[in-house]
Amino acid sequence: MAEFPFLPSLPLTLSYPLLFGVLLVAGMLGGEAARMLRLPRIVGYVLVGFAIAPAASAMNIGPLLDEARIFVDIALGLVLFEVGRRMDLAWLKRDWSLAATSVGECALVFSLVFAALSALDFAPLQAGLAAAISMATSPAVVLLVAQDARAEGQVTERALTLVALNSLLASVVVTMLLATVHYEVRLDLTRAVLHPLYLFAGSLALGGAMASLGRALAGRIERSPELHFTLVVGLVVASVGLAQAGKLSVILALLAFGMFSRGEGRGRELMAVDLGRASRLFYVVLFVITGASLPLEAFETAGVAAAVLVAARAAGKVAGVLAFAPLGGVRLRQALALGAALLPMSSIALLLQHDVARLYPEFGQQLAAVLLASIAVMEIAGPLAAQWGLRFAGESAPESQAAQPAKGAVPGAAGQSR
Amino acid sequence: MPLEFAKSDALTFGVELELMVLNTRDFNLTRGAPDLLRRLEKAQLPSEVKPEITESMIEVNSTVHRRFAELREELVRTRDGIVEAAGKLNLAVAGGGSHPFHQWSDRRIFPTERFLKVSALYGYLAKQFTVFGQHIHIGVESGDDAIYLTHQMARFIPHFIALSASSPFSQGEDTSFETSRLHAVSAFPLAGHLPEVASWDEFNRYFDEMAGYGIVASMKDFYWDIRPKPEYGTMEIRIGDTPLTVTGAAELAAYAQTLAADLLRHRRTDPIAPRYLVYGYNRFQACRFGFEAMLADPGAHTHIRLREDLMATLNHLQRLGDELGTADALRAIGDRADRELNDSRWLRERFQETRNLSDVVRLQAERWRDDPGKGAAQAPVAGLRAAS
Repeated sequence: MAEFPFLPSLPLTLSYPLLFGVLLVAGMLGGEAARMLRLPRIVGYVLVGFAIAPAASAMNIGPLLDEARIFVDIALGLVLFEVGRRMDLAWLKRDWSLAATSVGECALVFSLVFAALSALDFAPLQAGLAAAISMATSPAVVLLVAQDARAEGQVTERALTLVALNSLLASVVVTMLLATVHYEVRLDLTRAVLHPLYLFAGSLALGGAMASLGRALAGRIERSPELHFTLVVGLVVASVGLAQAGKLSVILALLAFGMFSRGEGRGRELMAVDLGRASRLFYVVLFVITGASLPLEAFETAGVAAAVLVAARAAGKVAGVLAFAPLGGVRLRQALALGAALLPMSSIALLLQHDVARLYPEFGQQLAAVLLASIAVMEIAGPLAAQWGLRFAGESAPESQAAQPAKGAVPGAAGQSR
Repeated sequence: MPLEFAKSDALTFGVELELMVLNTRDFNLTRGAPDLLRRLEKAQLPSEVKPEITESMIEVNSTVHRRFAELREELVRTRDGIVEAAGKLNLAVAGGGSHPFHQWSDRRIFPTERFLKVSALYGYLAKQFTVFGQHIHIGVESGDDAIYLTHQMARFIPHFIALSASSPFSQGEDTSFETSRLHAVSAFPLAGHLPEVASWDEFNRYFDEMAGYGIVASMKDFYWDIRPKPEYGTMEIRIGDTPLTVTGAAELAAYAQTLAADLLRHRRTDPIAPRYLVYGYNRFQACRFGFEAMLADPGAHTHIRLREDLMATLNHLQRLGDELGTADALRAIGDRADRELNDSRWLRERFQETRNLSDVVRLQAERWRDDPGKGAAQAPVAGLRAAS
């Protein structure tokens, strides 16, 4: 090789750009294959991830895949911001049954999962942490399934709002339980109080500050969707970085950023730009990497417990929504659909699980196996449930409404009128 | 079989208003009508609220009235009920003739048998027909009167266009028209105006002939700007955009009622044919230029500015307005014409301020909700509504 120094050395090094490109294209192809089978695209992305994992470890690029979390973080930032932006506090005030439903379904999920895991002899704190993590619905899955189905209506709107709320509640409860762990492990009351306090206040302040910054900048540039889109994406990615650097909660900070950026009246400097197509790039990679990172061997050690957790969680979600449906004037059919739409469990749960494992590795071993196995199941079952729910509610766009042929349509016979 | 014309009391009146159903994020049209209508089933509203061709529209049908003030009060009450129900569903509702930036292909046909048939027959025209108009019904005692009034009212169609115009934007762009909505209507094969029949009998012969060709089955198949409505015993003016406020809608109905009263009292005998020769041209002028339109006057062989023609007509109707209780409405209309302040101008000004159509629709929805304020239904309708 020495005589041809301009030639690359073999084998080629696998760089981030190449990895991103490969994951993106492979994920997209998997998604379209799923689409042809009338399955949600996400199922395709995740299955590609499952398939890539063994190949990756054989090629020894596992570490690179771990490093690729940057893509995952950007994707999560975008999705949390989007869901936060959709959370309309004014609506929660006008229809209090929505907040009640959220608290109700979360409480029910927590109780059922906690009881089930306790019955399986998990320690109370472990069961509690798993139960709290189970409260969260995956915003990325619900958002993407709704986008793919072009779903519009009350079930879609309520599902996205409830997702934002339960992500919020789950991260708050997990943080509080972690403080308890703190205390139990180290008997350090000051830290046990100050840490969650720092997380809440710091994350909210970061979200608020970024929203203010966004508005201030938005007020100084032309009101064009392209410019505002760039601004929003830039600030979202920066917020993720700041939250990580400041050891804050990415979930809380980005939800808060989204929520605060949606000002009322004069506060609407920042346009409600559509993040859809561009953020799809990151979402595809997010799900492929998520699929690749889930250790399927967790089923062997924790299969039964995971099955119990998944069942208890589903029962809690559906029963919780059903119980509060009459208060909000939600019909039975819509409530069932809404319950199904809240089942996906993916990125947020994974993120929370990561937090727990990072802070207390010794504490989280067995818990991690149960959660990871549950998440692996829900990566496939969740999108299916959400897609079914939105269809069942009649909110998905018909496959080809416009393409109906006008066979034998006699003008007058239609009795058409406006 | 001849069409039966249901007799009704002369000069009773009512309106139909087609309204936008919007999300509260970017104020695009959204598929909210099914949920909103279901919620409204339980509400005790004075007017009826019905589905329309796509799931982002609802239609309000008022009851029959004699006085402007009563109609206005009913519309305010209905509006308050709809706004409240929409709020619980995180939806917004607005007036205006067309949505400024929605993509017609995103719309979904409301799945009733009739709308699905319309969609199957007309293809993309059906979804393009997601535009929002006001229909005004004026009661007449006979089919002959309905024919007479339909022909006579054709002369005043430009006034209604200029006064109601509230659709300057379409598919995200300024169309340069005061109303772009009417282009969606004109595309239908049976759009246009009533043929030059002189009586209800003659109209029936025309209808039978058209039915014989298999082109129409009922009056609903004619998408005319003004048409007799035998089922209700009315003449129906369908030219107007839905105004941005319920007051605006009631005022237009009051103008139509007063005009009809004058036309029925002082029967005109001038020939119909020349009127229809200039009809399309004048209609275009009003759509494009609003109050500044130059209308061809077939009798005088001159052109006259629409605003001046409207002011002269209002002047002429003044005494009748006092008698019918429409004086306030006529004064408000005159004031608007005088200051050239129609809803299209209001929308363009909001766009100048915000540079963003989402914000324009948000302000449009706020105006629909707040102007006149809640509880205005109880207040006496004295005094002039500020035009903006």
